[in-house]
Amino acid sequence: MILADKKTGVIVAGATGRQGLFHIRLMNEYARQVGGAGVVAGVTPGKGGQEAAGVPVYDSIRAALKEHDADASVIFVPSGAAGDSIMESAANGLSLAVAITEHIPVHDTMKALAYARLCGTTVIGPNCPGLLSPGEAKLGIMPPHLAMPGPVGVISRSGTLTYEIVDELTRAGIGQSTVVGIGGDPVIGSTFTDVLARFERDPATKAVVLVGEVGGALEQEGAASTSLPLVAYVAGVSAPPDKRMGHAGAIVEGGEGDARSKIRALEAMGVTVASRPSEIPALIRTFL
Amino acid sequence: MKLREYEGKRVFAEAGIPVPMGRVIRSVEELGDLSAFGEEVVLKAQVDVGGRGKAGGVIICPTAEAPARAAALFGITIKGLPVTEILVEERLPIAHEYYCAVLIDRSTRQPVVLFTEAGGVEIEETARTDPDRIRRIGIPPLMAELPPFAVRDLVGRAPRALGPVVAALYRAFLVKDALLAEINPLVVLEDGRVLAADAKVIVDDNALARQGIQRNRDLTEREAEAERHGFSYVELDGEIGVVGNGAGLTMATLDLIEHYGLRAANFLDVGGGADRERVAHAVRLLASSPEVRVIIVNLLGGITRCDEVALGIIEAGVAQRVIVRMAGTNEAEGRALLMEHGYEMYDSMDTAVGAATEVRT
Repeated sequence: MILADKKTGVIVAGATGRQGLFHIRLMNEYARQVGGAGVVAGVTPGKGGQEAAGVPVYDSIRAALKEHDADASVIFVPSGAAGDSIMESAANGLSLAVAITEHIPVHDTMKALAYARLCGTTVIGPNCPGLLSPGEAKLGIMPPHLAMPGPVGVISRSGTLTYEIVDELTRAGIGQSTVVGIGGDPVIGSTFTDVLARFERDPATKAVVLVGEVGGALEQEGAASTSLPLVAYVAGVSAPPDKRMGHAGAIVEGGEGDARSKIRALEAMGVTVASRPSEIPALIRTFL
Repeated sequence: MKLREYEGKRVFAEAGIPVPMGRVIRSVEELGDLSAFGEEVVLKAQVDVGGRGKAGGVIICPTAEAPARAAALFGITIKGLPVTEILVEERLPIAHEYYCAVLIDRSTRQPVVLFTEAGGVEIEETARTDPDRIRRIGIPPLMAELPPFAVRDLVGRAPRALGPVVAALYRAFLVKDALLAEINPLVVLEDGRVLAADAKVIVDDNALARQGIQRNRDLTEREAEAERHGFSYVELDGEIGVVGNGAGLTMATLDLIEHYGLRAANFLDVGGGADRERVAHAVRLLASSPEVRVIIVNLLGGITRCDEVALGIIEAGVAQRVIVRMAGTNEAEGRALLMEHGYEMYDSMDTAVGAATEVRT
């Protein structure tokens, strides 16, 4: 398991919005189930002193940390202010910031990630479902009932497609160590390479499923960086060029980043590539 | 969103980058007095597709012939798009063409500035055949300006007057929330003046509002309509309509459709919290397209309420065959509702898409 465990205390930024309230409740239901620390505080500027889904709300992360122990933030702040929230998490010494927010302007993301790096804070996302270590911790919005503990790491640029694949794995009796949704934006805090490096140091993870999409070359870079056994799936074989397929990062530009050339590059490195999500369990089983 | 050339040049001019003397016209009457333009002018169709030069969208002609040539240019279509705007510019006596661009490098998560002496041609071609001719420097995103050394290293032995243009292009890239700001060609004239002869600027769709851009022109009417409902929608040219939740799952559904030898009519991601109303909207939107023969609804998620989704599909009541795959809460209730109204529901996306290949009896 990587990035978070039972002891990880979480601050939710953007705690009093619809998404924040809803997911504080779900995250803490899961924390109670597994005996974890869960969400200890919420933050919404100007709403200090209120309560959100049973946790106290503060005006700032600084104020929350005076009263609570926390290592991580999960960010539901609206897109215009989410970059700022990443920087606030980093400046206050949190080791991990998980940015769920979609539609953050990419210039904001680049600045916030550079700032977080100076502070030594790991960022997951933005535009991601967060992470789930089955039986340990849930930081984000993944539905935990589809998952079960086990030896396979999952790293994905998608949300629901990740759930689909986790569901396929669980139905096949293959559990997961940690499932990490790294986000669908072109610029993200942790790439396949970064998360693979953590899985490599994790004794519980025996093999990893990479779930990629059209756009960029992060999948190939990740595969080239690791010695872990990998099974990859790349969505968007049928995606036309120059059209953004839902995610800001899912676009084939200047003839680069199309699914077929990605798959060819991965196969050339010896990575097993599934042509359909349903093929993944059988392929990953050969490595366990 | 891609800016048109004249919009890009306006951005450049504001940033202090010299641009050719020019005028945008929407009719021949707007040409007006061209005496300041000299003996020859360039007429450039402002259409939102690439490759306009090869399609006859750029004309160099004697100034006296401009009205007749502009009238003809207004009459043609380029890759299906009518020419509604023409940029009229002075003809430039070019001595040399350079290339300069700022873009975002996903791997290093920072802007990268590119410069090469080999301007005016396909930069992708140069990148493939002669990558050493392109100089590139990554800039840490916390920098508000290009450091002077970066400008010197990029420009190299090219005329020093290009330096301020490179620095200004970087500023424009930052100020305008650009994903790409490109000058190709960046020209030095016979008299030594430096000008941006073309402009390509792509603004981050997530920053359109704060850039004061109301409507994303890159979207078709139907795509814009879908966006107002909070859907991500892309039109394709097949006959299977697709409603999914989440970009990755929806893409994977399209791929599976192709895998089964069928062709998808669209990509439609309804987003999170697919409730009755949103599902009904999405299904109706697809059904309104005459090409769509079958609609596949593929929804997965812990918080998707299957009974709500079923009611949305029933409420839409479209004429086309609707095949449903969903998983979430209240699955049994959802299935019962769909069966009752004669809709098909499957447990896996493979079987759902596979069902579309069979003719229903």
